[in-house]
Amino acid sequence: MAISRRHFLAGTAVLTGTAMLGRAPAALGQIRELQVWHTEVEPQTVKVIQDTSIAEFERKFPGFKVKQQALGWGDLNTKLLASIAAGSPPDLTHLNPFMTASLYVKKLLVPMDELIRAIGENDIHEATLKLQYFDGKYYGVTHAMGSTYFAERRDLREKKGIKPPETYDDMLKLAAALTEGGRYAVQMPGEKLYMGFVHPAEWLAGNGGSWVDPKTYRPQLNSQAMIDALEYAQKLNKFMPGGWSGQKYLDTLAALSTGKIAMAYLSGARTIGYIEKYAPENMRDPEHFMPMLRPHGPSGRVGISALDGENWAVFTQSKYPNEAFEFLKLFYKKEYYLQYCHSVPIHLTPIFKSMLNDPEYLANPRIKKWRPWHDTMVSGLKAGRFLPIGFSRPEDNLVPFLAELDGSGIVADMVVEVMVGGKNPKAEADKAQRRAEELLTQLGFKRWS
Amino acid sequence: MRKQALTGWLLLAPSLLLLGGLVVFPILYNAWLSLFDKHSFLPAQAFVGLKNYRYFAGDEEFWNSVYYGTVYSGATIVLQLAVGVPAALLLNEMFRGRDFLRGVVLFPYLIPTIVAVILWKWLLNDSYGLVNHLLLAAGVVSAPVAWLGKDFIMWSLIVTSVWQFFPFVVVTYLARLQTIPPELYEAARVDGAGAWRRFVHVTLPQTRSVLFVIVLLRSIWMFTKFDTVWLMAGEGGVSRYIRTLPVYAYARSFTYLQAGMGAALAVIMFVMLIVATAAYFRVFRREEALS
Repeated sequence: MAISRRHFLAGTAVLTGTAMLGRAPAALGQIRELQVWHTEVEPQTVKVIQDTSIAEFERKFPGFKVKQQALGWGDLNTKLLASIAAGSPPDLTHLNPFMTASLYVKKLLVPMDELIRAIGENDIHEATLKLQYFDGKYYGVTHAMGSTYFAERRDLREKKGIKPPETYDDMLKLAAALTEGGRYAVQMPGEKLYMGFVHPAEWLAGNGGSWVDPKTYRPQLNSQAMIDALEYAQKLNKFMPGGWSGQKYLDTLAALSTGKIAMAYLSGARTIGYIEKYAPENMRDPEHFMPMLRPHGPSGRVGISALDGENWAVFTQSKYPNEAFEFLKLFYKKEYYLQYCHSVPIHLTPIFKSMLNDPEYLANPRIKKWRPWHDTMVSGLKAGRFLPIGFSRPEDNLVPFLAELDGSGIVADMVVEVMVGGKNPKAEADKAQRRAEELLTQLGFKRWS
Repeated sequence: MRKQALTGWLLLAPSLLLLGGLVVFPILYNAWLSLFDKHSFLPAQAFVGLKNYRYFAGDEEFWNSVYYGTVYSGATIVLQLAVGVPAALLLNEMFRGRDFLRGVVLFPYLIPTIVAVILWKWLLNDSYGLVNHLLLAAGVVSAPVAWLGKDFIMWSLIVTSVWQFFPFVVVTYLARLQTIPPELYEAARVDGAGAWRRFVHVTLPQTRSVLFVIVLLRSIWMFTKFDTVWLMAGEGGVSRYIRTLPVYAYARSFTYLQAGMGAALAVIMFVMLIVATAAYFRVFRREEALS
């Protein structure tokens, strides 16, 4: 069938017009999208955010649509850095605290003092308030706190008449006592982030050590604090299932709930969900499952656990920074924030001191049932037993290369060679030290001579 | 004549542009990038010449990766041939259910890598895996074997990969088997050749060229295989024992955030493959000339 030129042109004009009309709202700037990324992937949490702060924000700012993206930890860093490189980061995002300093020194973050004052600077818990505080300004605010610790079979330990361990030696004795009848005492998650970064940071923190020398940035991987910790980890490995390094965090929770192990090395309140689902029905309570704080090393004073609490951040490249702050004000509005924290009780503990003992917060049925877990969290906070993920000391928020050190896998290689490979801790620590020094030199952070 | 040549070039232009843009440019850009100290995401870079290459010459992790990559690709290729060729010979025979079996044998090659790896990791898990359950029930072992632990992770990876990729050998080899003239076998039979001698003197010479292609392609694919290896251990502690070159290149680029180093590793891998392929061609041609 032949088409005349006139018909062809008319048809093309109609199609183009239709296509342009379809794009009209965006082209005219009527609908603007506020991109919000966060790491709370539980469906009920995503729904709460959608139904509370997002719904009110979209009512208050009719030209805006909020697009939330829930990302796993592992995906966040890479995706975020790629978006920054492309010049289009989200307007608002969660950051791991160990990344914040790295982005701050590159001048990529917007200060948020006004927001902090608006939501209650004096009420924010000291454990999180100043994690993103550089040169007298706040560059982040923690969304919620979740502490990590051992989750133990309290009943098994008490049957043996053993108290919760205070030192590495106590812990090894407990592990030996609980390894019996085909059941192992403890299992560590095999992911690099945990066994190769989070736990080594805890070991250093609980044994008077640190990742780097604060002045020269020289790595301290072969310090006595780390070697002691590696020797302890090597001994503890005897009481773990042989294949732990090939298994993941959730595998450890399943193993604890089903009685294959007596302690999960890394645990938080999210473990309760696993216990309530997989443990025998008559054991789904704090009489059988309890959190247990970390022991300390020979040079440490108290055991330290990681505090899981990403912070919100706004980038200098964000399209709508002001609206991002407005969104955060709604996010922290008491009735919304309560619902958010209750979406994964105890795991999402509020950052506001006034809320920690607020009857409205404590009225949640799961918090009521698992109250000892909440109390462990609160008492741990009071006693200074927590440090943010990957921190070996509070001042690590100023170290601008922790993300790269974690990413390199140098520490993970050292730990796995010592624990699983059975190699000499000192020799492996020396090897890791050489590699870390090379890495920091390549990255331009060498300040030592 | 000149006009004809011009028309020819114009007709070739789209293909040349595509090839240039999609093949030549990335290779050259990658080689160029390998001469820089460049952050993977942030706009920070400095020209360092051959420094990245010199670094890897003395990098223990690099040599470990070469070793693991060689073990992995070598073992998987040998085993794929060891399983695939007999399977193809079997499927070339007439028997009831042959067509069904030909379909079934393709199954591992058709399912997505992520599914294959999750399936095998589930089977091999030392807490709840079926393999350990069966071994324990049969009394073969007294305690669960850590198939995904340090001592067996490489073998678990090899088994998973062989299971996933041997159907390629079966299909390719079977296609060639079906084109061998039956008269050759009949003549061999008349001469009194048994099954083994028919295989050695008829089948193997006839399938030499296809075996050459299979070994070449599978070597390249296994040496550069990333997804299966990555999914098997991810960034887990045990990944150290199966960290092949592609995984190390990925790590340098996206976890160490050193794009220049990652690019240098990619160039090294590329050169290693070219050298190995050239040597392989040379040996094959020499043997072909001799025969």
